[in-house]
Amino acid sequence: MNPGFDAFVAAGPWPQRLGTRALVALARRPRGMALLRLLSPADQLGTSLVAIARYDDPAVSRPLGWDAAAVIARGRTLRSHEGRL
Amino acid sequence: MSSPRNRALTADVCVIGAGAGGAVVAAELAEGGARVVVLEQGGEHSTDDFTARPPEMLARLYRDGGQTITLGDPPIGLPLGRGLGGTTVVNSGTCFRTPPHVLERWRSDFGLELDERSLGPCFERVERSLSVAEVAPELAGANAAVARRGAERLGWSHGYLSRNARGCVGSGVCAYGCPTGAKQHTGITYVPRARAAGATVVTGADVRSIDVRAGRARGVEARLADGARLTVEAATVVVAAGTIHTPLLLERNELGRASGQLGRNLSLHPATAAFARMDELVDMARGVPQSFYVDEFAAEGIMLEGIAGPPAYAAMALPLTGRRHAEAMASYRQLAQFGLMVSDSSRGRVRSVAGRPLIRYDLDDADVARFRSGIARLEQLFVAAGAREIFLPLPSGTRPQAARRRDLKLMAFHPLGTARADARPSHGVVDGDLALHGVEGVYVADGSVVPSALGVNPQLTIMALATRLAFHLLDREVSSDTRPGVGMPA
Repeated sequence: MNPGFDAFVAAGPWPQRLGTRALVALARRPRGMALLRLLSPADQLGTSLVAIARYDDPAVSRPLGWDAAAVIARGRTLRSHEGRL
Repeated sequence: MSSPRNRALTADVCVIGAGAGGAVVAAELAEGGARVVVLEQGGEHSTDDFTARPPEMLARLYRDGGQTITLGDPPIGLPLGRGLGGTTVVNSGTCFRTPPHVLERWRSDFGLELDERSLGPCFERVERSLSVAEVAPELAGANAAVARRGAERLGWSHGYLSRNARGCVGSGVCAYGCPTGAKQHTGITYVPRARAAGATVVTGADVRSIDVRAGRARGVEARLADGARLTVEAATVVVAAGTIHTPLLLERNELGRASGQLGRNLSLHPATAAFARMDELVDMARGVPQSFYVDEFAAEGIMLEGIAGPPAYAAMALPLTGRRHAEAMASYRQLAQFGLMVSDSSRGRVRSVAGRPLIRYDLDDADVARFRSGIARLEQLFVAAGAREIFLPLPSGTRPQAARRRDLKLMAFHPLGTARADARPSHGVVDGDLALHGVEGVYVADGSVVPSALGVNPQLTIMALATRLAFHLLDREVSSDTRPGVGMPA
């Protein structure tokens, strides 16, 4: 979905990550999501997983007032000015 | 002698783990003149590598990508940090001293001679080292202002939290690596101090065995990331691998088992949070995410504390699905969030299965009741604050008082107690000086020794106990001809 999210899923412990991948695959499709609704709370978990990837996308988060790149740039400037670690 | 693939080091003290406990004990020992080797399983996190993007940071800074889950009813997410600084890199920075009533209980129930007077100098020393100070209201952000308004209207006891931060500008991503270097986690405070005082810090070191012969510690053996074997010869070993992994390491080495308590007595602070849609602009990730608390119900074991994060975090935590989730996220800038954590009476157990921790933890009836009550209080708080819509962490249509165990959507923090301190060898894994019962030279310095739930965030307690241990070791275990005189911290 995006490299950060893929790394997040890959970092999960085996065999949990197999379940996570299956859940994400289902939650991304309308029919899959309909199936998950029958297995509540799997629908909540599936929604959360798909959502973390979607709202991590700068194109989605910037209109919501969050610019991760700007936060990092401000941090770098502060650290270089003040000699922080 | 070391072969090209193998290395050997000699030290007075070998410290296993560089989180809240290990980093502190290592720095204090090294500055006191001891020869110290620190073995950390994870890596070193540079502030330059932080991206403020939750998925990527979860993968890098957390053990198992932050996806550690307890097995039980209900299953609970238990995020744990990994690497130099451990969980202090990714926690909210909240600092509380051990509450006096908890110390009193430790004295009466566990025979531990710890009180405010004896621990006071250790707390002061840690607080100075970490620049602990109360959050200024202007840094707390609009999310805290919403909670404050609610608490004031209800007449509930509240305040701004103290944190280990210096020069914080409220970046809003404490849990994903502070991008300004403001959070004074042990990876940028105590670890550099340890190195400056001559300690050797080895990352990527997976400790395989603790060498104990004739009832006395002799050293540690670890496997390095490149496959090489590292042996550290040391007469004193401090285990600080964290509450989940310390009992596994001790068990693997057949240490600390005599009382039958190793791996048991796992205490957590199970937690949840509610969201509210406000009329005003909140921008929850602007400001310190955990800056404000409501302790009106602390005596019932319920502490309300701030929590917030960027859209990816909020989207993950929002207890909604489908169209309602999308609609709520469309109004992210008006969303406020506040959390509750429970001082648990439930107890769990950590065991090793195929070398990995299996964490069993079932919420008992009293804790379920605390959550019912706490979620109702969160709802009250947001109603009083003027919320337009409230999203409780429960299935749609479920009222807090009717919530069943499986309805609760929980995370947990602050695992404690799996190698608990008790003066009696038959009841605890370590004694009041954090020495393993029945063995000379093996100590434990992490949350696993804390014998009961604290009801407050534990990092300061762990660090103060580690400080006390370091000064104890300098007095008792480290050769006085290699170090200056020290005494207890002033």
